[in-house]
Amino acid sequence: MADFRPRAEGAGQSAGLLERAKSGDLEAFDQVMRLHEKQVLTTALRMLGNLQDAQDAAQETFLRLYKSLNRLPDILEIKSWLYRVTVNVCNDMHRDRRRRRSEPWSGPDPVSTLPDPELAWVHQERGQLVEIALKTLPEKERAAVVLRDVQGLSTREVAAILGSSEVTVRSQISVARGKLKKFTDRYLRKRL
Amino acid sequence: MNCADWEERIASETESAGLEEHLRECERCREFARELDENRKALAEVTVPAAAFDAVRLRVRSEIEARKRRTAWWTWSAVGAAACAAVLTVSLILPSTKSPAAPKMPHIAANPPKIERTPAYVPVVAKAHRVRHVHSGRLAAKVAPAQQVEPLVVKMLTNDPNVIIIWLVNEKGDEL
Repeated sequence: MADFRPRAEGAGQSAGLLERAKSGDLEAFDQVMRLHEKQVLTTALRMLGNLQDAQDAAQETFLRLYKSLNRLPDILEIKSWLYRVTVNVCNDMHRDRRRRRSEPWSGPDPVSTLPDPELAWVHQERGQLVEIALKTLPEKERAAVVLRDVQGLSTREVAAILGSSEVTVRSQISVARGKLKKFTDRYLRKRL
Repeated sequence: MNCADWEERIASETESAGLEEHLRECERCREFARELDENRKALAEVTVPAAAFDAVRLRVRSEIEARKRRTAWWTWSAVGAAACAAVLTVSLILPSTKSPAAPKMPHIAANPPKIERTPAYVPVVAKAHRVRHVHSGRLAAKVAPAQQVEPLVVKMLTNDPNVIIIWLVNEKGDEL
């Protein structure tokens, strides 16, 4: 099993917070959110591609955490649980949004503060391109590549969160990276 | 092994003997690896304004508090409805199970009632006798003088000092 254990000094403090949150202490729950908000919001942002939707997903994820507090055996479970729920919530929202059709992409903003304007353009453009390319991936590939490349989790940890085997996850990541590269290549070669 | 096979290994991060050596020799695979790395860095570069975190926490807290209020309201509504239903049920069931209510009698003290004989004036209607008038020879009603009868007064004390039951009976025991 993947090890999501917090480091020793933080674990006791987190466990105390969780116990207080379970007993209905909203301040303690606020602290639990602060500990995990970066993980949840950045995952959601990469999965959904815009901040407003990512905030909605993060809100839903934390509300589900609040409802499930008493069912979580201990603090060690929270990190992987939050990744799993964030991915599920984002997939649901993505499906829902696809049904409603999102607005078409209008292209990257050429304004940059980097010294070399050409390099800056490419750098910024690549960032936006991978963001758009992510949206074109099937949900399992997208989740695998976000957890691996954005959150920096190991293949083993990603497999545990997504409930797949390591071999499957490795394959999904490989395919996803290949698709992202093709997408960025196609656009950047046209531009340069 | 051709470059397509190497690319697959590079993309899946599969450790393989000879990969480093191949990358040193093959410009195409080196470029492929560099591009993947650029994309990975671009993906990892996520900047979220601090206000966005605060906003999420605020929204979550507000929603939790609103849900708590809604839960409390529903709980009290359910308790109120249950109480009303219970009262209604009791009021419907109780009269049908009870025997017809007997008129409430004043509670009589356990100790024997105190009976007092009190002389009292009770007007008794004088008995009329038909008598023949001596002089006129006509019949005339002779009214016998009214008799002074002493009725028997029975006082019964109850537990309530304000309530005393009093019977007035004549010598024969009839109620007056």
